[in-house]
Amino acid sequence: MGISLRVIILFAICINYSDARPISYSGGSTIMAFSDNMKDSLYYHYSPSYKYSIGIERLKDKFFNTNYSYARFTYLLNRKNTDNSQRNLYFQSGLSSKGMEDYFYGVHGDWETRRWFVGFGLKEVVTSKLDYNDQYFQAGFAPYLGEYGDFHTWIMFKTKKNSLNDKRSTYPVLKFFKGNVLMEFGYNDKTEFDVHLMYRF
Amino acid sequence: MYLVMFIFLFTSLSHAMDLDETHTHEGHHHNDILVDGTKLQLDSDRFQNFVDGLDNSQIAVVSVKGMVCDFCARGIEKTFMKDAAVKKIDVDLTKGKVLIAYTSDAEISFDVISQKILANGQNATGMSILKI
Repeated sequence: MGISLRVIILFAICINYSDARPISYSGGSTIMAFSDNMKDSLYYHYSPSYKYSIGIERLKDKFFNTNYSYARFTYLLNRKNTDNSQRNLYFQSGLSSKGMEDYFYGVHGDWETRRWFVGFGLKEVVTSKLDYNDQYFQAGFAPYLGEYGDFHTWIMFKTKKNSLNDKRSTYPVLKFFKGNVLMEFGYNDKTEFDVHLMYRF
Repeated sequence: MYLVMFIFLFTSLSHAMDLDETHTHEGHHHNDILVDGTKLQLDSDRFQNFVDGLDNSQIAVVSVKGMVCDFCARGIEKTFMKDAAVKKIDVDLTKGKVLIAYTSDAEISFDVISQKILANGQNATGMSILKI
């Protein structure tokens, strides 16, 4: 496996972190920062409506020491609210600053109660060199139910599969949030520790 | 994975029209069930904490569907606090209620509140107004 191929696979493993909370409330903004041993990413999105968001993601490839950006668009295809749950289905897309031949698109869904969370994502990534798809499934639970304003904790597991190597990667994710700040910590044997921070305003 | 996605998509589309469904209780205020909060399904301690220090106010108790996450409900507080007539707001995730304290002379419209809740991605399904 070539170095560039491994980098692309690792990138695909990491990129799903930015799928969390892809749309804010109407008029709301969200800024996300992600870092691991392979890349740094800074993603800002603005939601003119609760139905869609537009944003820009700046990425620094630590391995090749290159920088590029994605112009991103996310649309809420469907939402189901009940007394005890919320379910969402999103379309997501991104166009790379490298050119019109580099982009991604896909769907991302989740279902959440105060105690349980399940989510999935399917993404097709098109580049001038290589096309591949990426899929993941995530499930988790809140060990305690915090009230509004409390410190909240989620324990999750995420499993991913990429068409490039056709191998599944499964690893734990811890998510914490309080107020407008959310943090996620994941670990797997390929990317080691990675950190995701999010602030909504 | 594709099976999961299919099931998710199928069940989502079958409820596609539910997003904008609300049941307005405007004009059907329950001013007589303030004290113990039982009929309003309020957490009495939380409600008492909320009204402490408030007087000459109206409390809108709004029932909300889909409010399962603290982080997701933050926008509700931000949106309502932009209204000069709003003194205070609280979110009760357990009961699925939003408590909004208005000035005594404010005109409270369920439609306006419902639109603000919807702008945050949830559905308001009913409202009661309590005067203190």
